[in-house]
Amino acid sequence: MKKGSWPRRIGILFILIWTLVPLYWALNISLQTDAQATSKPSNYLPPSPSFANFAALLSGNSDLAQSIRQSTGNIFLECASATVVTVVLATLAAYAFARMRFRGRTVLFYGVLATMAFPAYTTLIPLYRILSAFGLVNTYLGIVLVYVSGFLPLATWILYNYMLSLPIALEEAGQIDGASRMQVLTHVVLPLARPGVISTAIITFLFAWGQFLFPLVLSSDISTQPLTVVIASLEGRHLVPYTLLSAAGILALGVPAVIALILNRYIVSGLLAGSVK
Amino acid sequence: MTTVIPGSRLRRGFDFLPYALVAPLTLFIVCLALIPALFTIVESFFRVNPLDPPDAFIGFGNFEALFANDAITSSMVNTAIYLVIGVALSTVFAIIFAVVLQKRFFGRSILIAILILPWALPGVVEGIVWSSIWDSNSGLLNSVLTSLHLIDHYLVFLGQNQLSTIFGIELVQVWQITPLSTLLILASLQNIPADIYEAADLDGSSPWATFRRITLPLARPGITIAMVQAIIATLNVFDQPYVLNGSASTGVSLTMETYFISFQNLNFGEGYALSLVITLITLLASFLVLKLVYRPVEF
Repeated sequence: MKKGSWPRRIGILFILIWTLVPLYWALNISLQTDAQATSKPSNYLPPSPSFANFAALLSGNSDLAQSIRQSTGNIFLECASATVVTVVLATLAAYAFARMRFRGRTVLFYGVLATMAFPAYTTLIPLYRILSAFGLVNTYLGIVLVYVSGFLPLATWILYNYMLSLPIALEEAGQIDGASRMQVLTHVVLPLARPGVISTAIITFLFAWGQFLFPLVLSSDISTQPLTVVIASLEGRHLVPYTLLSAAGILALGVPAVIALILNRYIVSGLLAGSVK
Repeated sequence: MTTVIPGSRLRRGFDFLPYALVAPLTLFIVCLALIPALFTIVESFFRVNPLDPPDAFIGFGNFEALFANDAITSSMVNTAIYLVIGVALSTVFAIIFAVVLQKRFFGRSILIAILILPWALPGVVEGIVWSSIWDSNSGLLNSVLTSLHLIDHYLVFLGQNQLSTIFGIELVQVWQITPLSTLLILASLQNIPADIYEAADLDGSSPWATFRRITLPLARPGITIAMVQAIIATLNVFDQPYVLNGSASTGVSLTMETYFISFQNLNFGEGYALSLVITLITLLASFLVLKLVYRPVEF
């Protein structure tokens, strides 16, 4: 303990600097004017902190503000719908896999898990062509369907492991009292599995929020593009100053950062349930 | 092991309920994962180009065209460098971070909450965040290096030199994937019984020897999964090079080439072939690491 204390302090300091300096820097730039942000040497603190960049992004009727507002709405809608559908379907399937025995169970279960070993982008082009054949490119429905199909295997796996760890005695008691298996699921299993369901929902939401290449391909204009795609397109045009871009970045980081800081306990337990076995 | 709830199965001939419960999942996986994957395999042997119909079987034609294309071969080299830098750095960082977090101390759970942040944030926005660190006109790194009198004029880190470009971009991805690697390795470390460390201490083992002989070998399961997730992430890197370096050849990855070929040139056949190549390389590399690094650990 005593011997290890100096190396550990250096390690802790390194983790803090490594993780927080880039985030601090984006925040620092976003609170400066363009002239301040391009000075040499840089201003390590905003000389006159101002929310003007955020105001320019969020209020008014400029094209920029309108597209930021629209794409913020889009990303919330797409992530929330994908999360709800994924969690509901994964809960049903995980319950069947964890607690029932049926013909084809093993093949189906490992077949679903095997899709996790493949890189997600394997199916990028065919998904685009299938969605366009059904007229679903550039629709909320198309994006949500693709997200759900991508996140379902991991969500099912996390919930399956969680349900297996629950004591079965309560479920048996429920059955003896005459509850149907669906009643057992909704009245006994779900209340006990709440932490697992929350973990799954948070992880799914964060994954959906982080998507870029899929929505870049699957949504062709501002009507369905999420915030991430719109921000990247600003970067590419080189017309928008860094200060504004950093402010937009802070907007897109804010939601997942707050979720991760407050609910990290659920994230850690969910990720470990999902990956270690 | 599955525990079975005794139920209506005995009374009825056939139990529909489990099938009803897994049906939506199965439908999604079959329609939006298996069938598309099959598409990728089959159509990689066809000429598929909406600008040049009709589709036609051309054997290995797409693959031959890919390997004859200098842009593709150079992006393969780039991706190999992303892979090596990314897997090595994220694994080393994660082992160090996990050891730092191994024993309980005041503020440990807050540190874990902070550590996990880059994992939770969108890669494309992280690219934008880091671009103001690497920037050649007003970036943080140039400013700090100048203040320390290490350089006398601002340098260009991204876009010109291939190695410094890829290193700068890959560091951003390492920033994103290291938290998950750390958690995976930390989970392995926390399975190690405390009495092994006590015994080593009694035998006068130095901290370094304890790390080499106990911690590292017993962390192999966690290190393996961490390396596999790093391999999948780095071989498929897209977001960070896309925002930090655009289509400049110094940093284009294979996944970016797939995107350009398919959705800018509309040459879907070659796009399919390239996705298939990336997928096979990813599976092969993951399998190799599994064979080389993984050892079952029992206590």
